[in-house]
Amino acid sequence: MMTSPLPYQDEKAPGAADFYFAINATFRFVEQRFGDAGLRRYWTELGHDYFAPVTERWKTRGLPGVAEYWRAFFAAEPGAKVEVVEAHDVVRLEVKACPAIGHLRTHGRAIAPRFCQHCYFVSEAMAEPTGLAVRVAGGNGSCCQTFLRRDATVPEQDLSQIKEAA
Amino acid sequence: MIGVYDFNGHYEWTFAWLQRRGGLKLLREYWDEAIHRDAQRHAANLIRRKGIKGMQAYWGHSLKQEGGSHHTTATETVFRLDMHDCPSKGFLIRNQLQQYADYCDHCMGWIGPMLRQAGFVIDHQHNHAGQCWWEMRRASDTSPPSSPGELSGNHDVRLGSNWKRKNHDLDSYSRANGPNQKKSQA
Repeated sequence: MMTSPLPYQDEKAPGAADFYFAINATFRFVEQRFGDAGLRRYWTELGHDYFAPVTERWKTRGLPGVAEYWRAFFAAEPGAKVEVVEAHDVVRLEVKACPAIGHLRTHGRAIAPRFCQHCYFVSEAMAEPTGLAVRVAGGNGSCCQTFLRRDATVPEQDLSQIKEAA
Repeated sequence: MIGVYDFNGHYEWTFAWLQRRGGLKLLREYWDEAIHRDAQRHAANLIRRKGIKGMQAYWGHSLKQEGGSHHTTATETVFRLDMHDCPSKGFLIRNQLQQYADYCDHCMGWIGPMLRQAGFVIDHQHNHAGQCWWEMRRASDTSPPSSPGELSGNHDVRLGSNWKRKNHDLDSYSRANGPNQKKSQA
């Protein structure tokens, strides 16, 4: 049983910001080769498979575990300005400054237009087996991501609510 | 969000995902197109313009950012990197992450084509335990790789007691520019 909210540990904190270049380039490559549906599939399988240890922790810790994870996660992301708000039956990530978009923009990189959608597809895949859902609004540098209990009253994610990155 | 604190983990996971969908061909295209020509285009531009001085500048910046333990040696004709504790492979080993057969191949996967474009070839070995060495010379220079200690003295990773470990066969490349030129040796 892992004690840290993060499933994988490193000796350095925070991570190396230039790796955002590779994340962005990977999304672009997968979309070019497999189209929009293939990119969504990549994100969903990444969420289900690679992030399975996070899902396991959320199953036992519930929404407090979600908040713990994202606090630890953004503490290790260089340049992140994110407030993690725990309210009644909801955890909200108020992303004031997205570390990835900020670094890519600072270095003049062309950002994959659907970059911000990965936050929905990856997190939804992580959350779904735990009975939770995520809904994302905003993007392109700042957004709000709401984790809440999955039930019939939760509307489907409206992808038009996630801005294209530029 | 996927982030950079555990980048090497989902990067390595992606190798296996791509290989399942398009085999080694697709994976090598990914290293060349997405990593060399897109993500690392700053490295390619620097090395194409400045040669060995560009290599010093690029790896000086990137390895400082990534951590680990390494030593570089540069002369007018060769750039040598001795990696004693690879931050990427080390992360995978410490976290027991392995989806793809040989993570270390990704370096030759993007650095090889990048140096081909810049007019260089590579001699390289890695031991799958976070240690490797690289020598990069102009393609027109037919010099063989240095003998242990010759270029980087006591910093030469081949002199370390951990270099040849049981169950960690060395993979070797000679005057290479791509991952398809690997030779394994016991």
